[in-house]
Amino acid sequence: MSDSTWSFSQTFASEFQTSRAELESRVDLVKAPITADALNTLSSDLAKLTKTLADATGSVPSYDQRQYELQLKSLEKSLENLRASLPKSKFAFKRKAPAASSSIPPSPVPRAVPDAASQQQLSSISTNPTLSSHSFRYLSRDSLPSASQASDLTISDLNSCIVNLLPAIDGKPLAEGGALEISALHIRNLTDTILLLPVIRGSVLLHDLRRCILVVGCHQFRMHTSTDVDVYLSIPSTPIIEHCSRIRFTSYPTALSPKETYSNFFSVQDFSHIKATPSPNWSAMPTDALVRRWPVSTISSEKELTDILDTLLPR
Amino acid sequence: MGLLTIIRKNRQKEKEMRILFLGLDNAGKTTILKKLNGEDILSVSPTLGFNIKTFAHGNYTLNIWDVGGQRTLRPYWRNYFEQTDALVWVVDSGDRMRMKDCKEELHSLLLEDRLAGASLLVFANKQDLQGSMTDVEIRDALDLRSIKSHHWKIWSCSAVTGENLVTGLDWVVADVAGRLYYSTMASPIQAPVPVVV
Repeated sequence: MSDSTWSFSQTFASEFQTSRAELESRVDLVKAPITADALNTLSSDLAKLTKTLADATGSVPSYDQRQYELQLKSLEKSLENLRASLPKSKFAFKRKAPAASSSIPPSPVPRAVPDAASQQQLSSISTNPTLSSHSFRYLSRDSLPSASQASDLTISDLNSCIVNLLPAIDGKPLAEGGALEISALHIRNLTDTILLLPVIRGSVLLHDLRRCILVVGCHQFRMHTSTDVDVYLSIPSTPIIEHCSRIRFTSYPTALSPKETYSNFFSVQDFSHIKATPSPNWSAMPTDALVRRWPVSTISSEKELTDILDTLLPR
Repeated sequence: MGLLTIIRKNRQKEKEMRILFLGLDNAGKTTILKKLNGEDILSVSPTLGFNIKTFAHGNYTLNIWDVGGQRTLRPYWRNYFEQTDALVWVVDSGDRMRMKDCKEELHSLLLEDRLAGASLLVFANKQDLQGSMTDVEIRDALDLRSIKSHHWKIWSCSAVTGENLVTGLDWVVADVAGRLYYSTMASPIQAPVPVVV
């Protein structure tokens, strides 16, 4: 090894160790509820350090290089653990209650507090229909602005609600122009909620559902980080779940759809269980657990609503 | 003859480009590829693993790697970085809730040494859906203007209608060609013709 390389590796070693020790102590100092910002700073500092090491490849003895890499890896691991402890950022896009349909007053306690980043996004110009931050309500199409074109619908932060967006309520066809055509769905953070949704053209993306029943038809289905959900599904492709448990699948109830539905729910793909053995996280719904009477008509009493939810929801 | 000249000459003979399609799950990566290749898009399922498509685009042969975007698959993205000429980052323009996630994943990719120098095409997909974010909104949400390390461009597109898919691909192929094969830029680029692999 030439003198210059030797002295470089000496200098590098001391500089590297200093930055690493500094970063390590910062990681150790972090208290349990770490903020996303602090975490981001730590990750980007770690990335910089990793890059410094990568740049020095060839100028540092290979044994040392390996040691440094191991140290960085353990740092990365502690960061990963911190990231896991990070509270899930909850935010919702709220829509002002339309003055005309005062049947749905704004929820008394909005459960989601938008963080700074989502506030910024709120200021953007385009919007999509949103149903969010309600509890103990029966929500139907009236709760949404009618849209003339196919649109992307967001449903988020609901607790103990029934959402009915089926095309006809009580067997009556909807008035001309009142129809809402949904082409894609983004659903997040629902608890003790029943969703009755029509067959849509696009995809459905779900995050963080707890004790829910979901009726939907779609082109693609992805469910993440959810537990105890019964899914009544019509789909031409393979539905997938990731980081989920106790999910039960069955076909779209014929009573709720005038159209023909698909039902290849037995080929559910679990991305957190990529093995030859069957996934323990989902099962086919036993026939005796199927819902027979769907709550398709509006319920105004809170007591009646909670009773129905208690009877139907998976436990 | 310098080493760089030898490398250029060698690549010129092959006229191949390696393009990596990445993005969050549900962005429409596979659907865009199928549409470009003239395949049926109705049966597309979420990608477990990856797909490779090879097709001719103008005078070039494009090797396109489409890697699944589910969270469990993202750690494997790094296995596909080697020799990448262009990165195509696909965004679901209707997914407002995950724009922050989308921005973070993209910016962490751009720190990768093995992607240094790759051209970056951002597809603001799903523009056929009403209420989607526009390309300008997505440019700002992803903070694209802070990117100095890569040539980048954003195109709004729709995998369902096919709008702007070829235009976007034209840009990225021309950008890579300008870098790798700068002496052969004269050739016009036509729509992709499927090639049997």
